[in-house]
Amino acid sequence: MNRKRWLMLLMLISLVSLLAACYGGGGSDSSGGSAESDESSEGSETGESEGGTLHMATPGELPTVQTNGNLDGLSQTVMLNIYEGLFRLDENNELSAGMAEDYEMTENEDGSVTYTFNIREDAEWSNGTPVTAHDFVYGWKRALDPETFSPHAYLMAPITNANEIQDPEHELYGQVDELGVEATDDKTLVVELNNNVPYFLELLANPVMFPQNEEFIASQGDDYGLEPENVISNGPFFLDTWTHDQGWVLSKNEDYWDSENVSLDAVDYRVAKDASTEVNLYETGDIDVANLTSEFVDMYAEDEAYTTNINTEVYFVRFNLQNEFLANDNIRKALDMSYDKAEAAESILKNGSIPAYFLVPEDFVSNEQGEGFREKHGNFNMTDIEEAQKLWEQGLEELGTDSITLELLSYDDDQRKAMAEYMKNQWENNLPGLTVAINQQPNKQKLDLEGKQDYDMSFSGWRNDISDPVEFLNVHLSDGPYNWQDFANEEYDELVKKAQTDFSDLDQRFADMQEAERILIEQETAISPIYQSANARLINPSVNNFVAHPDNTFSFKWVTMEE
Amino acid sequence: MESLIQEFGFLEVDEISIPEQKLTDDLFEVERQLDKDVEVISQKPVSYLGDSWKRLKKNRGAIIGLVLIIIIIFLALAGPYMNSHEFDEQNLKISNLPPKVPALEHVPFLGLDGKDIEGQDTYAVKNVDGYYWFGTDNLGRDVWTRVWEGTRISLYIAFLAALLDLLIGVTYGSISAYYGGKIDNVMQRIIEVLIGVPNLIVIILLILVLQPGIVSITLAMVITGWVNMARIIRGQVLKLKGQEFVLASRTLGAGDTRLIWRHLIPNSIGPIIITTMFTIPTAIFTEAFLSFIGLGLQPPIASLGTIVNDGFELIQIYPHMLMFSSIIISLIMISFNLLGDGLRDAFDPKMRK
Amino acid sequence: MTRYILSRLGYMIFTFLLIASLTFFLMQTLPGSPFNDERLSEAQEKILNQRYGLDEPVAMQYFKYLGNVLVGELGVSFQFDGRSVTTIIGERIGVSAILGAQAMGLGLVLGGLLGIIAAVRHNTFMDYTAMIIAVLGLSIPNFVFAGLLQYWVGVRLQWLPVAFWQGFEYSILPTISLAAFVMATIARYMRSEMLDVLGQDYITTAHAKGVDRWKVIRKHGIRNAMIPIITIVGPLTVSLMTGTLVVEQIFSVPGLGEQFVNSILTNDYPVIMGVTLFFSLLFIAVIFVVDILYGIVDPRIRLSGGGRN
Repeated sequence: MNRKRWLMLLMLISLVSLLAACYGGGGSDSSGGSAESDESSEGSETGESEGGTLHMATPGELPTVQTNGNLDGLSQTVMLNIYEGLFRLDENNELSAGMAEDYEMTENEDGSVTYTFNIREDAEWSNGTPVTAHDFVYGWKRALDPETFSPHAYLMAPITNANEIQDPEHELYGQVDELGVEATDDKTLVVELNNNVPYFLELLANPVMFPQNEEFIASQGDDYGLEPENVISNGPFFLDTWTHDQGWVLSKNEDYWDSENVSLDAVDYRVAKDASTEVNLYETGDIDVANLTSEFVDMYAEDEAYTTNINTEVYFVRFNLQNEFLANDNIRKALDMSYDKAEAAESILKNGSIPAYFLVPEDFVSNEQGEGFREKHGNFNMTDIEEAQKLWEQGLEELGTDSITLELLSYDDDQRKAMAEYMKNQWENNLPGLTVAINQQPNKQKLDLEGKQDYDMSFSGWRNDISDPVEFLNVHLSDGPYNWQDFANEEYDELVKKAQTDFSDLDQRFADMQEAERILIEQETAISPIYQSANARLINPSVNNFVAHPDNTFSFKWVTMEE
Repeated sequence: MESLIQEFGFLEVDEISIPEQKLTDDLFEVERQLDKDVEVISQKPVSYLGDSWKRLKKNRGAIIGLVLIIIIIFLALAGPYMNSHEFDEQNLKISNLPPKVPALEHVPFLGLDGKDIEGQDTYAVKNVDGYYWFGTDNLGRDVWTRVWEGTRISLYIAFLAALLDLLIGVTYGSISAYYGGKIDNVMQRIIEVLIGVPNLIVIILLILVLQPGIVSITLAMVITGWVNMARIIRGQVLKLKGQEFVLASRTLGAGDTRLIWRHLIPNSIGPIIITTMFTIPTAIFTEAFLSFIGLGLQPPIASLGTIVNDGFELIQIYPHMLMFSSIIISLIMISFNLLGDGLRDAFDPKMRK
Repeated sequence: MTRYILSRLGYMIFTFLLIASLTFFLMQTLPGSPFNDERLSEAQEKILNQRYGLDEPVAMQYFKYLGNVLVGELGVSFQFDGRSVTTIIGERIGVSAILGAQAMGLGLVLGGLLGIIAAVRHNTFMDYTAMIIAVLGLSIPNFVFAGLLQYWVGVRLQWLPVAFWQGFEYSILPTISLAAFVMATIARYMRSEMLDVLGQDYITTAHAKGVDRWKVIRKHGIRNAMIPIITIVGPLTVSLMTGTLVVEQIFSVPGLGEQFVNSILTNDYPVIMGVTLFFSLLFIAVIFVVDILYGIVDPRIRLSGGGRN
């Protein structure tokens, strides 16, 4: 059989080369679009410049380069590298210098805060116009304007009136001029906040807070952001070429204020739609960085190029409290404690993910004394099958039943599918009388079912935008928009709402949030944390300082290549 | 032997001499023509099925195909019970074991000795005794049991697809072409609409309206699976219906139903069987494709398609996952094709000699 | 004939509008929304729906949409900010067409040859070999075949590029992967039909007249075997052109197939609608051409008449 296949292959190849004559025209035609990207990558191979080209692969087309667009990880990565906000996150995810040269903060008597940012004199757009405070004002208002509303406008919440402007019920709805931001002169930006939000500066590193040049955008009309010539940059790189659905090249922006510290000449992105294709491309040297799915970890775990990177992203099971069985405290707790999270993370995910007995991730935030968030309570509801079975029996008795059937809503990709299968199996084995049916749905459809609370248990996840535990905790506020479980605990609400608005005593706030997490998991078991996710990837050893942020975006500003 | 005797019977009838008598009209009686026996040969002919079976038996390939299908069906039914492992029995400590079979483990080149691609005896390393004939998957489940459970699902889908093709597709296509004109026009427009609305939208809707899984896949196939067959048969019947034997048959008074079922469809048997043989793999792979984009069967239920799909990523490191499931899929296809070829040769009236 | 073609064209427009309407209403029942991101509150979702005109009554949206379709305006994608659907289709259809045409060409030639050889040398070793090749092409799952090709030819032997679309050599592996199925399909129909035709009286007559064997096959056999092949080739071409997700994904070919599945999974309504309409237009056109070809290839076929004429 094997020999026959080879024979066939040979026949096919010879025939194709015959056909090549007829279809040669078509072939070269199709390559026309990517010729430019080839040229730009050639420079690196000759090794003349000190910089070199970093070759990246990505699973899909770049969705958008508009800061008010629908930002997925890929768009965010590109924007972080071609634009720059007042600050940017460095290698250690600390704030580092951006468009703001310095700033000043004054606390007002009514508890509100005023920030004054001085924008760099040498900050320029790639078309030569200076970056001004007006660009920020325009960009932010644009994100809130109902006509150009950004799906990420919620991030602007700390700014005075931002919440009111995006509330269709409120009288200020759509009145972007009421936003607490003002350009007092070309280089001075004044921002008003309702409260002294400690993570405000970090928000400024998010693309939705980036400046936008009004004049340029107006001149482009509907074409804005569609092609490289319809985009101007103020970041370390600019969008050089863009062959849709095939790849794009980010080249070094010589007009960038800090360009002397940017070593790379270019980042060459290619669309590689399949995980195993990506690995194969890494093997042939076509790309420098390859993301690994769990399946490939066994193959490369010993490789020197193998790295893992833990994300601030936690997966957990939502229990829908509308379900009569899940409304029982003992049943929920039994479910949480009866599957082996450690074994799952180690043997199924394999990519550096860690088992989660918490909602606020490991290595995430510390208080002023440098004490980590996790230190106080440690893990909640550690796996304990015997204890779980006791709770389960007790729960069944309270409910007056001996068998329960529950549905587990789940994701549709291979890795998380295996997780769901594992959990089902563990639950059914460890908790007598339990039947779990997996309902696997594509993401959008899954979210729809969750939103309608049309599920029993749901495999979900949450990732932060800013480094503050409240990002994870406000998901479960009884009146919060993301509470799809009917979870309500007064004490919890009180603690979290206080943490959202009261920043007067940061130590107390920290302790409050720790307590809220304890209530959520240990006391109420409203969720069953599963794991904190990580990404495994191969990074060519000649690439240094490749910065992967915990939200799985990358910064190329500091990358250097060895020859 | 039987047919020989019948031939003699014919001869004898021919030799009966007609007594000389003057023929007058009153000797004749008008007999009402009955649709069913207008063309009937008075002697018992070799039955269509009997004749076909005889020819099928002579076709070695077809018999091999038939035997293979029977073996596969048997294993699909009995295979999962042949060892003590359940199809959803997980044990992460023994995940990704290579295959190991008693007796055959001593035959070095078969690769059934429990050694992985680096030649390490994983069974010894992981301290496992016992045998996993096809190895285990990433959750430590027995691949043998899962593969045969999966074969059941795939065979169900295969037979369902074939049945729909034959029942709906053939009838639809032949009626459309035979009556032609307005009927054809309307029926073809319906087909165009069915093809025009992409299956995927229909399937996603079904999956979300109904319980996800095999029911929605079945329904999706009922809606769209037979369209190709209908078009092929229409093409065939269009070609055949102008030919002399149809005209002859009609002259003899055969009705529409009889023409379609006794002449047009049997004469299209070649394309019918071939198309069915294509529908089967397409259906099996469509189901696999649905799993590929996350819309297929709900785990832990698996079909051959989903097992191949799961194994695909592991091809370079744990090839056994992919190997056994692909081999069985290929065997199913090959045996259906061999049988199909034989059936085609046996049933096609033009091949009768 | 002209009357027949004209009336068919009329029906085509009708069918097209029917599909357009059907897809529109099917999509209304598609669960989820383009903007139900985890992080959006209901109020924010509402603003976005308003921004893209999704808050209007369904009937209103429908008539607007039909009106736009009739003037060829397919709207703007949700997934790719500001990019018009016509651009998205335009950017990808060329690639899909080249790949589809290559795979079709290769499959037709190889499949045709295999089929003819098998039929002419019926029940010989050649016949069996040809059919085994055809069956293998059909029975190995598409993505396994493509994956093996990529790994062996691309990674191990490094003869051809692993993925991407930058010239003819990049198209070879995807073409072969797609052509295997076409080849198998064509080979089997060709064999079956040729056997049919070769058994007919007029072929025997031609033989008896002493016409050269291969000439008979060429002049009578192949031409008469074309009916089922044309029927199958039409839609097959369209589905090859519109792209097959699996091969596109494995070889990272920037074609239309993957885009379409993605747009469904992300509820990108304008793209779903646009691509659906484009597909169905192609299908309807192909079916039309096939019907016309029936008449040309086989003069015995009369399309307009009923069965009793």
